Amino acid sequence: MAEMENSSPMAISTASGEASASSSGNQIQGAPPKKKRNLPGMPDPDAEVIALSPKTLLATNRFVCEICNKGFQRDQNLQLHRRGHNLPWKLRQRTSKEIRKRVYVCPEPTCVHHNPTRALGDLTGIKKHFCRKHGEKKWKCERCSKKYAVQSDWKAHMKTCGTREYKCDCGTIFSRRDSFVTHRAFCDALAEESSRAQALPIKSNTAANQGNADTNVKNAITTTASSPPPPLTPSSSVLSSGLSIQSSDNPVVVSSAAGATTSPTSSSSVFASIFAGNPQPSSKMPPPSQSSILQSASGLERTSLSLSSPLYLSSNGSSLFPAPDNDHYQYAHPQPAMSATALLQKAAQMGAAASNPSLLRGLGLTVSSASATCLDTTVKMENDSMVDCLGLGLPSIGSSGTFTDFMMGSSSLFVNKPTTLDLLGLGVGAGDASTTGLSALLNSFGGGGLATTPYGMAEESPADGETWDAEVRKHNGPAVL
Amino acid sequence: MLQEESSSVTSSPLQVFSMMSLSPGLGSPYQWLRELKSEERGLYLIHLLLTCANHVAAGSLENANIALEQISQLACPDGDTMQRISAYFTEALADRILKAWPGLHKALNSTRMSLVSEEILVRKLFFEMFPFLKVAFVLTNQAIIEAMEGEKMVHIIDLNAAEPAQWVALIQALSARPEGPPHLRITGIHQQKEVLDQMARRLTEEAEKLDLPFQFNPVVSKVENLDIEKLRVKTGEALAICSVLQLHLLLASDDELQRTRSPLASRSLNGVHLQRALQMNQSTLGELLERDMANGYSPSPDSTSSSPLSLTASVSIDSFLNSLWGLSPKLMVITEQDSNHNGSNLMERLLESLYSYAALFDCLESAVSRTSLERMKVEKMLFGEEIKNIIACEGVERRERHEKLEKWIQRLDLAGFGNVPLSYYGMLQARRFLQGYSCDGYKMKEENGCMVICWQDRPLFSVSAWRCRK
Repeated sequence: MAEMENSSPMAISTASGEASASSSGNQIQGAPPKKKRNLPGMPDPDAEVIALSPKTLLATNRFVCEICNKGFQRDQNLQLHRRGHNLPWKLRQRTSKEIRKRVYVCPEPTCVHHNPTRALGDLTGIKKHFCRKHGEKKWKCERCSKKYAVQSDWKAHMKTCGTREYKCDCGTIFSRRDSFVTHRAFCDALAEESSRAQALPIKSNTAANQGNADTNVKNAITTTASSPPPPLTPSSSVLSSGLSIQSSDNPVVVSSAAGATTSPTSSSSVFASIFAGNPQPSSKMPPPSQSSILQSASGLERTSLSLSSPLYLSSNGSSLFPAPDNDHYQYAHPQPAMSATALLQKAAQMGAAASNPSLLRGLGLTVSSASATCLDTTVKMENDSMVDCLGLGLPSIGSSGTFTDFMMGSSSLFVNKPTTLDLLGLGVGAGDASTTGLSALLNSFGGGGLATTPYGMAEESPADGETWDAEVRKHNGPAVL
Repeated sequence: MLQEESSSVTSSPLQVFSMMSLSPGLGSPYQWLRELKSEERGLYLIHLLLTCANHVAAGSLENANIALEQISQLACPDGDTMQRISAYFTEALADRILKAWPGLHKALNSTRMSLVSEEILVRKLFFEMFPFLKVAFVLTNQAIIEAMEGEKMVHIIDLNAAEPAQWVALIQALSARPEGPPHLRITGIHQQKEVLDQMARRLTEEAEKLDLPFQFNPVVSKVENLDIEKLRVKTGEALAICSVLQLHLLLASDDELQRTRSPLASRSLNGVHLQRALQMNQSTLGELLERDMANGYSPSPDSTSSSPLSLTASVSIDSFLNSLWGLSPKLMVITEQDSNHNGSNLMERLLESLYSYAALFDCLESAVSRTSLERMKVEKMLFGEEIKNIIACEGVERRERHEKLEKWIQRLDLAGFGNVPLSYYGMLQARRFLQGYSCDGYKMKEENGCMVICWQDRPLFSVSAWRCRK
């Protein structure tokens, strides 16, 4: 607590009123309170500065009735309550006759209001200040995901959120007209197109209309969203059949939503309504709707979908890929069937995982000749073991360690690799997946693609096909594990 | 001579993957393939596709043939997403291989009929089944309305006037504007007269209903051969240009022009050259290929110049943009694919397009049933054709030259256009539309004042607005 050098001490008491009752929890943070005089500027220099602990400030019902466990914020209230239980009760009197103005400081040392000269005059005020600035924001606005620590702030916001918005062309939103007007005057975006000055009143009107449209749409959506069954509940049915069912259900849903959007006749909704005539399942939409919320909420929906859909996660014991990988893809790609995008990423990941050069070299993965005969002979032998490997060996793909096993188990199969492996310039891929990895591919390919292959097939220098074969076959022997 | 420099070689994890899995032989061992589960099959397909593509790029047609055989066991146009994609990609690869025998290729394609009605239907389906065009229209119209505040005479040039819905919406919006509707003139450019007639009818009807002075001027032409004079831009009118998925077609002519200047233009890269090159040292081959590619090298000389439609000189993108700039448009809104499908290297294009079309096919999978005929039509006649063009064609024939947004921004900047950030209100409308859209995976993001619409994380289309910078 900061000391005033040029002041005579002021009366400060700690144990008064509601701060004192349960003394155990009532530790004053920092130095004990002192009597100080405030600097000029403070409303009441004679005020009593009270420093309460964070616990006190955040506390809600600290006074508890021992009979019924009902909580009270003030001791006086508890005492009155005890009367009802026929318990002895005592209301304490004021400690002194004179009325002393009290001011409160914030216990947080880094805070401006920690200084008694900047103390706040109201107990409720200091409580709210502490919550707002130094507390956890537990209350969240659904529409715009603004967070609040104080419930009354949150309530106040909910009343006005989305009701009236002013939008500048540069993209900034204002809830107050005065700040909007001030901003507009200086906004760069407007400076360029002075001819658009006339457009702004129109825009704010359409903004108002849009606000109505929002509520209409919201109502329509909330009513309709509940009616069709959640389309993404994972019946284990095939996705396509599920979707076709939904599409038959939902023309009704969509048209009502579309109808709602057209109710304000501003140009804003015209486009959307014209283009929005799709009979597609709309019940996936989360109920309350402002733009960003929809996006975030739909994100939530997606995850729940993926969590719940049985999919390929665990349906078969012999699934190719270990559960953790599947989970990852589940979150990333919401569709129950493995989407092509997901497959490509998985493939890239697997390629990246197979990045142990010494291992692979050691395995002596070889390249067979281009000739079909070679393929035939070796493959037929390995047919059964291949299937086994698919079932057993592959679940371990995900870590390079177990990749070893896979490779071990089916290494002979790699004998069948077509010659192009050399052309791929198969280095052990850098860890990047998807397109960056692809561009690395391109480089390697553009570089002739005939680079070394750490898999040990690299013996084939890119000679013509014949030499390749000879060398490959030579390498084949010891390579099979 | 085991080459041990594993660290020196960079390769994509996808490629590494492609060598990991199995390659069964021919004949009866294929039985087990059919019992593969969808995910395994999908991964296997990816592997096979890449293998096959590598073979094709290397010119080893035997191996490519084997790979195609294997893929054909698994891929089919009515299966799951990966099966469908594989079907179209392998068709494209096969087409590419076939171009090495031009007589064969022409013979097989000689009886191909493309019905105009089918094309129109497929375009309509694309408009309806995906939100991309709708979002683009919402943003375009909003940008036009904002730019045309206070204008009394508005002239809009649509480089691909195929979908009346866009302009219907604009007519409705303009007629509702507080200062009264402007005199609106729309010049629509399209190859097929029927499409333009239909559009004219629809729009005139709408304008009459709403009492908006309106005029539609059809121009039957390809964008590449567009004669600016035909657009009849008058002084005193406010001009807006709308280009939806058109500008990239002009990049093909660029390639043609570059090629003719290249000293290596005479050689063929397909097959022979590369095999010879395979014998060379790795580094020099790399250099050679890079140099070749940089010169806009065309691998199949037979496929390039003989496009029957390029009667008038195809104009390059830069001169096209310059002539547009010369019209002093108040606004130009450009919608383009946002993917790099214009790499000079086949594998590069294949990998990029694999990701992009995987995303597009996923969109369909999540919204439309597998048995839907419309879906198959879109996949085959729209995406399949684009894929075929990207993979199998080279030179001026390769028209689907999608490029990333940054490149477009650079080009437009160079041509004298300044970016107009899409207004907050337009973005808001587009976002709201997208959220109301039934399917969940679409996302929108803003990038340098332009809007990019993605499927999951894959950017697919971009919309940007431009003004004439004097």
